[in-house]
Amino acid sequence: MSLDTRPTQRTRRHTSVPRIHPNYHRRMRLADGLQIIAVVSVALVIAIFLADGGASRFGTPADAITSLGVVTGLVGTDLLLLMMLLAARLPSIDRAFGHDSAMELHQSLGKPALYLILGHGVLLTIGYAMVQPASVFAEVWIMLTTLPDMPLAFVGLGLLVTVVVTSLVVVRHRFRYEAWHLVHLLSYLAVLVSIPHQLSVGTLFREGSVQRYYWLALYVGVAGSILLFRFIVPIVRSLRSRLVVEGVDPVARGVVSIRLSGRQLRRLGARSGQFFIWRFWTPKLWWQAHPFSLSAAPTGDALRITVRGLGDASSALSALPKGTRVSFEGPYGLFTDFARTSPRIVLIAAGIGVAPIRSLLETATFAPGQATVILRSSTADDTYLVDELTDLCRARGAQLRIIAGKRSPGVNSWLPADAVRAKVSLRTLVPKLREADVYICGPRRWTDEVVRDARAAGLPTRQIHFERFDW
Amino acid sequence: MTLAALASVSVVGVGWQLGAQLTASQQTLATSVPAAAIGTAATATGTAATPSAAPSAAPTAAAAAPAAASGTFDGSVVHTRFGPVQVSVTIANGTITEVMALQLTNDGGRSVMISNQAAPILRSEVLAAQSAQVQNVSGATYTTGGYLTSLQAALDAAQF
Repeated sequence: MSLDTRPTQRTRRHTSVPRIHPNYHRRMRLADGLQIIAVVSVALVIAIFLADGGASRFGTPADAITSLGVVTGLVGTDLLLLMMLLAARLPSIDRAFGHDSAMELHQSLGKPALYLILGHGVLLTIGYAMVQPASVFAEVWIMLTTLPDMPLAFVGLGLLVTVVVTSLVVVRHRFRYEAWHLVHLLSYLAVLVSIPHQLSVGTLFREGSVQRYYWLALYVGVAGSILLFRFIVPIVRSLRSRLVVEGVDPVARGVVSIRLSGRQLRRLGARSGQFFIWRFWTPKLWWQAHPFSLSAAPTGDALRITVRGLGDASSALSALPKGTRVSFEGPYGLFTDFARTSPRIVLIAAGIGVAPIRSLLETATFAPGQATVILRSSTADDTYLVDELTDLCRARGAQLRIIAGKRSPGVNSWLPADAVRAKVSLRTLVPKLREADVYICGPRRWTDEVVRDARAAGLPTRQIHFERFDW
Repeated sequence: MTLAALASVSVVGVGWQLGAQLTASQQTLATSVPAAAIGTAATATGTAATPSAAPSAAPTAAAAAPAAASGTFDGSVVHTRFGPVQVSVTIANGTITEVMALQLTNDGGRSVMISNQAAPILRSEVLAAQSAQVQNVSGATYTTGGYLTSLQAALDAAQF
């Protein structure tokens, strides 16, 4: 009897507490390690200030203000360097957090970094003016004319303000992506021109000191990462892969699947659900780069993306001639089977978000009956790749649900009005949701609503994966 | 995250400790400076007495009172946390006629700027007071300290 009950008990425990995939633990260890490095780097610059006797220089108001100005400059610059690393497409960062989360963190650090650096300028000007004594405006002039490298430092501050202001959500949407990106590149210049005054004005990084070598090593490390992973690696991969447009298949109005062929594509290590930043070398398109997700599982010699062209790019993309050369950065993203933690899987897409969902469905690990695909649209007509999804679901034993209907205005839900009235939610739609990883891809606001629903159903963060599009 | 906090706290703690040691050693250095200055001042006398006596001062030196020497005397080099400070003093007929900064704090552009502003003020104060007992130039505490210590050593060498 005991022999009979033991195995059933074991299986019951197995299903009620799903075994977390070992990948997850490995990923979390990497994420923890990176987080520790980031936090300690901030602690280290404070330690450098303290080791120089900084704690003893808070005696007078002027000293205290000056010392505070030094600390804000140090921490602000360290944050700037961390931001640049987050945007440097470091493979380890992509593997631990995914491109989206990394960029979100990058974005959220922007304002604090700017405030700290502005604080650095303001506090030091006030502190210096107090000992002079001079008015703050006179002190700015004194700094510009008598301190070394200060004109450059002020230029850097101006550039930094420009970059952050153009990145504020309200302002950002008034620009074309390319224009915004061009302004954003000025941040490299801002950081570069602020280096001389850090070495020449203060005493913290005096010549020959360990601190100076550490500080310079930080810059070299960040610059090296950017150069390697944003420029050299993409160029080498693009040249090696010799990717060209093989064909363009119309999917729906304004939506096309672009088939690409190349060589040695396995070496890219691309996974279903990932995206690349593509550049199509036609006279009209070469100057823009677009992030598009793989809509089919990558093979050794072929990739496929499905694209809804917005604006002027739309017609140009559907008319891409066969043989057009394609360069790319990537693959990026953690919207893959690599991020799995649970045996079941739920794939939810709206609009063109179906692209990565389609490729995930093709290769994700699940037993027949353990996957659910949910397509969401306003009308039954604006779903894409439904035929392909139907075939794949049939072949792999997944359940396909198409939920069409308009959302009711003023109600925060990802579901149509009648479904909300009928108290439908993710939990009622998907059996055994708690044992599933949920993958969500769609427009930003809609995606946030699905994530909210998943959290409300009690799903832990590790089981919710999402990718939102808007630029 | 607790690990990151723990690591950060210990890193900052080590920095704090190093800073405290540095501050303590600077304080002991500061109190011991006068004694050290007198020691090095002996060499200053040597150079002042024989070769570097100013040509104009030399004849007067012979005629002047034997207690105070005339001529130019180099003070000791005083090391501050912003760099070395050294001055020379010219004495004629028992009066300080000139104070020249041979070295001023040079560690970082900010301290160069501060000492360049403080030096003329200190010079005119010393010429007016005819001694090293003058007020601290605010905002230039290290330069003032080094300047006056070095000056005192030069004056001692001149037996002024």
